[in-house]
Amino acid sequence: MISYLIGLAGYLVTLMLQLSIFSQWKILSGSVDLLLLFVVGWCLHDRSKNLWVLVLVMAGITSLVSALPVFIPFIVYFTIYLVIRQFHKRVFQTPLLGMLIVTFAASLLQTALTIGTIFIQRVDIDFNAALVEVALPSLLLNMLLAIPIHAIVRELAFLAFPKGVEA
Amino acid sequence: MLSKLLTPKNLRNLVIILVVAGILFLAVSGYLTPFFSFTVSPFISAQSWMSQRYLAFSDFFNSPRDMATLRSENARLENQVAMLQSEIVALQENVAQSDILYTLLDFARSNPEHEYIAATVIGREVSPYLQYVIIDKGSNDGLRHGMPVVTQQGLVGRVDALISDAARIQLITDANSVVNVKLQAAQVEGLVRGSITGEISLDMVPVGTDVEVGEVLMTSGLGGTYPPNIFVGQILTMQSKENVLFQTGSIQPVVDFSSLSAVLVIMNFDAVDISPLVP
Repeated sequence: MISYLIGLAGYLVTLMLQLSIFSQWKILSGSVDLLLLFVVGWCLHDRSKNLWVLVLVMAGITSLVSALPVFIPFIVYFTIYLVIRQFHKRVFQTPLLGMLIVTFAASLLQTALTIGTIFIQRVDIDFNAALVEVALPSLLLNMLLAIPIHAIVRELAFLAFPKGVEA
Repeated sequence: MLSKLLTPKNLRNLVIILVVAGILFLAVSGYLTPFFSFTVSPFISAQSWMSQRYLAFSDFFNSPRDMATLRSENARLENQVAMLQSEIVALQENVAQSDILYTLLDFARSNPEHEYIAATVIGREVSPYLQYVIIDKGSNDGLRHGMPVVTQQGLVGRVDALISDAARIQLITDANSVVNVKLQAAQVEGLVRGSITGEISLDMVPVGTDVEVGEVLMTSGLGGTYPPNIFVGQILTMQSKENVLFQTGSIQPVVDFSSLSAVLVIMNFDAVDISPLVP
């Protein structure tokens, strides 16, 4: 139970940081998605059986706060959860590498879903500008910040799982 | 009688008094200064030497205590300086916030046809593909879906979603945003669209219309989404391609969306949803 509270508290702090500070730090028009990074990091370190409940809550909060279509956070976060569970089953021994791989894949998935949804809403999209000015800078920022976020989440996970966290 | 007074004892006393008086007279008149200097200076030197040694000795034992006192005093003063600096920063923020609110108040006074409520921007959209901000006023303050949001400079967007104490504002730079505008000088109407990168552009201006760079765009009121005559931006460039019906152009918005900190929500305007009427 304490692990859920720590995970949720960490997520809420990350949400506040994202909304107030990190959404304004931009390269061209791209910005980092700290929430996505936190979910990836927490899923990598949380070994509890009912982690999906926390993932569900995190996706629900994101869909409430963000203007993204409701289904996107649920799809992205549960994909992250399922992929990382597969990693764990295959005794994935390098969580930092896992963090980078899953961050890269999840960022691409979220980008594809968001642009696809906007496109379906019959909005004219300059795909070249979307790629060069938003998608690639956002991906770069996500990859750069994945390492410090991994370290912070790992320390946080030590509080929640004093014995169960891998090195 | 005189022989009785000049006894040897009295004579000796008299001599002593005269000698002492003479010495005093010489001392007061300064004639004995070289003598005193010669005789007293060794004592003064010795006294000085002893005093200096005592002071050094005293400093040696007392200085650690003084250092500790000074350090604690220094730490106290440093804390006080830090506190005062933080107060200065807080006051400067208050002054900046007051300036913004005064400007918004001026705007509200100069546009009395609308009722306004001021709100502070407390967050920005998570996704970089969407252009939204979150403000600290919600349904408890009387806000409703679709209400226009402005600043003293011009149009910001409209209320997209709200809860009791906060609301999400869709900016006119969002890819899903469309604003009906009129060009003041050319007397034509067009559409201002947002984009996925947060820039806005002008569209649906008939080919053949003479549009000047720098021309001001204002809301037209068509569509019922925004009230008329709110500044939107200025034309930067216009493009007209062959075999197309409309010109397009890039727009410089009058509002600096990157530094948006306070906004006004127009309370007495109900947006009209005409989507059921659109074929």
